[in-house]
Amino acid sequence: MILQALNDYYRRKCDDPDPAERLPAFGLEQKEIFFLLEITAEGKLVQLIDTRTLNGKKKVAQIFRVPLGVKKSSGVVANLLWDTLEYVLGVDTKGKSERVVEQHAHFVARIKALPQATQEDAGIQAVLAFLANMDLKQLQAEPAWAQAFEINAVMSFRLHGDVNLVCQRPAVVNAALNVGTDVDERLAMCLVTGNDAPVQRLHAAIKGVWGAQSSGANIVSFNARSFESYGKTERQGENAPVSTAAAFAYTTALNHLLRKGSSQRIQVGDASAVFWADKDSAFESAIPNIFGEPPTDNPDRNAQAVQALFSAMHSGKPAGPDGQTRFHMLGLAPNAARISIRFYHCLPLYELSERILQYFKDLELARGPHDPQFPSLFRLLAAVAVQNKADNIPPNLGGAIVDAVFAGPDVPYPSLWLNAAVGRCRGEQNVNYLRACAIKACLNRQIRHSTVTPSNVIQEKEFLPMLDLSNANPAYRLGRLFATLEKIQEEASPGLNATIRDRYYGAASSTPVAVFTTLLRLKNSHLKKLSSGRAMGFEKLLGEILSAVVDFPKHMALPDQGRFALGYYHQRQAFFTKISDTPNATPSNPEGN
Amino acid sequence: MNLSKSFCLEVSGPFACFTRPEMKVERVSYDVMTPSSARSIFEAVLWKPAIRWRVHRIEVLKPLRWINLRRNEVSAVVSTRNVQQAMAAGSGTLGLYIEDERQQRAGYFLREVAYRIHADLSLVPGRPGEPLMKYTEMFTRRAGKGQCVNQPYLGCREFAADFRLIDLSTPPATAPITETRELGWMLHDLDFTHPADPQPRFFNAKMVAGVIEVPPFEEARG
Repeated sequence: MILQALNDYYRRKCDDPDPAERLPAFGLEQKEIFFLLEITAEGKLVQLIDTRTLNGKKKVAQIFRVPLGVKKSSGVVANLLWDTLEYVLGVDTKGKSERVVEQHAHFVARIKALPQATQEDAGIQAVLAFLANMDLKQLQAEPAWAQAFEINAVMSFRLHGDVNLVCQRPAVVNAALNVGTDVDERLAMCLVTGNDAPVQRLHAAIKGVWGAQSSGANIVSFNARSFESYGKTERQGENAPVSTAAAFAYTTALNHLLRKGSSQRIQVGDASAVFWADKDSAFESAIPNIFGEPPTDNPDRNAQAVQALFSAMHSGKPAGPDGQTRFHMLGLAPNAARISIRFYHCLPLYELSERILQYFKDLELARGPHDPQFPSLFRLLAAVAVQNKADNIPPNLGGAIVDAVFAGPDVPYPSLWLNAAVGRCRGEQNVNYLRACAIKACLNRQIRHSTVTPSNVIQEKEFLPMLDLSNANPAYRLGRLFATLEKIQEEASPGLNATIRDRYYGAASSTPVAVFTTLLRLKNSHLKKLSSGRAMGFEKLLGEILSAVVDFPKHMALPDQGRFALGYYHQRQAFFTKISDTPNATPSNPEGN
Repeated sequence: MNLSKSFCLEVSGPFACFTRPEMKVERVSYDVMTPSSARSIFEAVLWKPAIRWRVHRIEVLKPLRWINLRRNEVSAVVSTRNVQQAMAAGSGTLGLYIEDERQQRAGYFLREVAYRIHADLSLVPGRPGEPLMKYTEMFTRRAGKGQCVNQPYLGCREFAADFRLIDLSTPPATAPITETRELGWMLHDLDFTHPADPQPRFFNAKMVAGVIEVPPFEEARG
């Protein structure tokens, strides 16, 4: 399904009415060429041009559409009219002089192997003349030579006065497109298209997956004995027959989706996720805005994208014909020279919108004035990492969360997320907005999922974004109790450096019975310091909270500790919203909204 | 004349991986059970050289759910030359040091799967005098008792399957899922006419209301 979907995407993009948007045809590819040798029609060198421009701190080379390169492994194989410095000029950069001589010979032979008609083209004649009478001293005198020599740069040729490279001239492009496949290749049925066609032995590399080796990695590869089956040792491609055209199509499509600056990819943890649709849709590039991190110059971009989605859903747009467009979401994770599929989903637009909205609804929580309404995924993950550092985010977590979002509206989130959030709350002894969002989302999904599959346990109520006075879950109530006790202490002794939260949060959350007896005894001395009206109000609130708590449990499991944290957060939020309204508390006020 | 009798087994398990050939290293499963895995389950219960199983229908009983796992495996195989030498000599070292050959391979597997698979039991042509009833009785007896030669598995051996013989005369307890979708080219089975070089055969799979009708092997292309 995955390769087939990419193949279809390639076909769709090839027929794009805008020629700039079209993907390279079979036989060509987009390649970064770092240096250009500008030559006259007689083959004299004019100059050596560096195509790199400064992009931020990195130097980025210009990209050209050149004849398809051969997959380089340990042998000597040359590309047509473009290659590294050793192939093009025969200059030894690493100390392997015999190999360099062979490389250069292959490069020249490849040009000379072109059909006669192509060789008569002015550009090819100039290149052959230049290579025949190469003046090394003139080259080394060029200012850009030192850089090119140092990195063994990929270079190509351009005629002086031309805009395009020699390998982009029409005669050469025609020759590249008409290159015939090896006649003696076995025909087999392609498992992507179903046609009988020659089988691609080694698939082209996919570049752009973060974390894979820089020369690219493969989805389809059989590079060790244990990966081959049915006796097809050393016949890599035959383990999965994919025709050359289909292999070119899916690798080109995927490289295009993963290119630098693509608006159709995001990075979630260690997984690179790409999105594409069956038909042209504006939503294709909206998904990265929703899940990705907003750029510093436009911090509201995420919120705007999500608001746009909400309003679109309300106006009923996705239910129309546009709503039937199918979207594909593919998550790729690196493993040295291979790429593994982290997740793949194919959904019509209306289902996709519903699931994304469900994700935000689950995360919705009463918040302070500085908390973002729609937190980005990266912020949520960093909040559950040790010391809030991005390096400490568990690598699989982002991909697993996004997978659960797309898999269905009730699919539970990975338990690692809930466990990490609760663990961080205990470690840092406070419950902040992002962790509370994560806990609420995980718990609500767990509750909904257990109602879908039959169970004979009493239905638990889902958690609301704000304080829920009617929620009788004992762990939730204990969290509220802890928040109330802390508030009493804060009001009784203003200006304290360490409240009971710093001392007792972990113990109260995991072994309530050991802690709450002490705290309830201590609260009496605190209440004595408050005015009688306020103390009465707090006592009433405590009574209301404890009405649903029969007994203090000896231990609380992690999900219950999550409920504790959520109850604590809700009650704190309720206190803070009330404090800003009425400074003079009447007996009924401290109960929250 | 080769008669054949249809049987139905309901198989289920917590995990399944019907590996796609093109993503075999970092395993990705097909969306539904392949006919070759269904055949392997029937053969796990009963197989004799005289009989042949032909799967003709697969019903999907639970919605598709996926899980991503990463496991440690080895990248080398024990060399057949070494095995032959050891057999000839009577002793030898055939061990594999996993520390040197370790490879981490990820997998995108199915979880909580349940299928009802229907297959025909028929006799291999060219064997005169074998009664079909002997084998059908053997199968009914064995499947009814839960007897099998090896534990049936869902694609990979580590994903064991529970199986149950279904009586086709009574209406089934659980209905298949209502999803209809195209599944693309799916592996039907392998053609072992040249045992040293098996060739895959594919068919265009379509799931209609949770049911996949599997064409005969001769119609699959490869």
